[in-house]
Amino acid sequence: MNELAVRFDGVSKRYKHFSLESIHLELPTGSIMGFIGANGAGKSTTIRILMGLVHQDAGSVQVLGHAMPAEQATAKLDIGFVSEDMRLYGPATLEWHMKFMRRIYPRWDQKYAEELTRRFDLKAEQKIKGLSHGQRVKAALLLALARRPRLLVLDEPTTGLDPVARVEVLGELMAALADEERTILFSSHNTLDVEQISDQITFIDRGRIIDSDDKERFLDRWRRLRLVLPPDVEVPRLPGVVQVGGSGRLPVLTTDRFEPAMVSVCNELGVAVQAVDTMTLEEIFVANVHSRRERMTA
Amino acid sequence: MHSGIVISQTDSRPMYLQIMEQVKQRVAVGEWAPGDEIPSIRQLAVALRVSVITIKRAYLELEREGVIVTQQGKGSIVAPDAALSPRLYDEEFREHVEKVARLGELLGLTSEEIARRTKEAAKKLGEERMNEGRMAEAGAAKEIV
Amino acid sequence: MNYAMVRILILKDWYFQRLALLLSLVGGVLSLGIIAFGGRAGFTVGVILVVMTIVMVSAITVMGNTIEEREKQTLAFVMSLPISYLEFTTSKIVGNLLIFAPIWLALVAGSLGLIVMAPQIHGFFAFSVIMAIEILVSTCLMMAVALVTESKNWTITAMVVGNVALNLVGYVVAHVPAIRNGMWGTAIYWNSTATAWVVAEVGLIALLLGGTFFIQSRKKDFV
Repeated sequence: MNELAVRFDGVSKRYKHFSLESIHLELPTGSIMGFIGANGAGKSTTIRILMGLVHQDAGSVQVLGHAMPAEQATAKLDIGFVSEDMRLYGPATLEWHMKFMRRIYPRWDQKYAEELTRRFDLKAEQKIKGLSHGQRVKAALLLALARRPRLLVLDEPTTGLDPVARVEVLGELMAALADEERTILFSSHNTLDVEQISDQITFIDRGRIIDSDDKERFLDRWRRLRLVLPPDVEVPRLPGVVQVGGSGRLPVLTTDRFEPAMVSVCNELGVAVQAVDTMTLEEIFVANVHSRRERMTA
Repeated sequence: MHSGIVISQTDSRPMYLQIMEQVKQRVAVGEWAPGDEIPSIRQLAVALRVSVITIKRAYLELEREGVIVTQQGKGSIVAPDAALSPRLYDEEFREHVEKVARLGELLGLTSEEIARRTKEAAKKLGEERMNEGRMAEAGAAKEIV
Repeated sequence: MNYAMVRILILKDWYFQRLALLLSLVGGVLSLGIIAFGGRAGFTVGVILVVMTIVMVSAITVMGNTIEEREKQTLAFVMSLPISYLEFTTSKIVGNLLIFAPIWLALVAGSLGLIVMAPQIHGFFAFSVIMAIEILVSTCLMMAVALVTESKNWTITAMVVGNVALNLVGYVVAHVPAIRNGMWGTAIYWNSTATAWVVAEVGLIALLLGGTFFIQSRKKDFV
């Protein structure tokens, strides 16, 4: 059994106005990775390269043990792919699509498909063109999930879904993971969802992976320290500080390498630590991107 | 086994701490008795829609604290050690007391004021419990009638 | 090559092109009937009908199952299936040609059959064969351009070019001495010039289809 469901090694892709550089990515089997990036950061390109739909200019891509894009036909037999700009066939019904899938995928689970149809509040006899955006997203997810794939690759799976549908979808994604051999990679703007269900998180910005780690480590490392400086005392130099905000005597330091010892260091310097705030994934991402961009322009 | 654990999105503490606390509460209250099987890491992850890695962390910490025991390849059970409740609550109590002291300091209260206000809160809680007890008796009496 | 998947894709395209398929079959049968039993006027009407139907059918199929995949964004869905781009291209070419086949065969069978049976127009045999294959060339050109460029505009251009070429070739061939000399006669003839034209046209078809496969296999961005 492969330990890594997905492996990117030094992958690059150059377009006229945008390039993906030296992408390294490792996704262990049985885990779920959330892929966060601004629009145009390269999430979709990376995902397309993963699916063999775009050939990389350099570097190797291994998906479920198959080299991409050379062995894409074989690999895709075990992959369920849903992207935001993907559409099903409008004039056909959901039922038609399910029959279509059944003919192609040996592991198609018709009972599960019917169960999902109920849970997602869809009607099999309805034509795709008559569905709302949210319903279409759910239909595409249904078709991907019911083929019981070893790898699910989802580009913005919950975008455009109402809150009830979102919870349903997240539930089904987690349920798929009940099998230890299944892996999920999903990109999303919804950092709350990513924070909740991801095991691994990867940040991408302007064509480069800027951080990739285990979710708990991410949430542990990043802190905001609210300090109160007595007069004539400088802001303490702490490791890993990526941003300094707040005002002169009430600085707020954002660090990506927090240690509890930092609090004692501050206290020893006479600086009161009013609070040590944890940060949401969204705050971490934005701080990470801003500090990186500032460093680039400095 | 239905865990009955409910995650709050507005709770600002890390998710694994929330889960740990709820597991400890169930053990302390007796819903999960010593030796009982508890959901596996993956089962709980699916049920709560929370990442496996977070549940894993919670379980690891719970094991370190002696609340649960994970058997190789067989899942996890509540630790057979019976005297958990007082120890768990004691730790939590200590954490909160330290927090009260820090907040009191920020507000500029003296230690006497902090102690006074804590005592007031405990007294108020005691009165509420007595009222609840009286109302329960009255309700029960009504039902008999 | 995964023939099972190619077949599934072709059947899928045929399902969505039911109208074109029907037009091709019905139009073919109808035109054949008119040509066979309509006398001289029937021949003219029949041929015009067939050619019109051919143009419509080829346009609908090419636009429908190739250009629309990109426009209606179902291309990502199709490419997420366990296929390579080779299988995708094959299914489009074979699928399109098969939809096109009935109507084209009707043209060939109808017109050639009639020519063979009516001595006064025997001379048209060679010309008709050359033109029938030329129609196939125009259709293949449109298909190749649609697959390679995936652009509605380029495909329409190719359609126009194909039509113009058809008329041009018709004019040129009708005036080539080796062809013209026997065209209005009452004898069925064939000569090396006719063979040369047919070989050139078949060669062009091979080039167009082969070139399409080649270009598609070199593409680095499919979606």
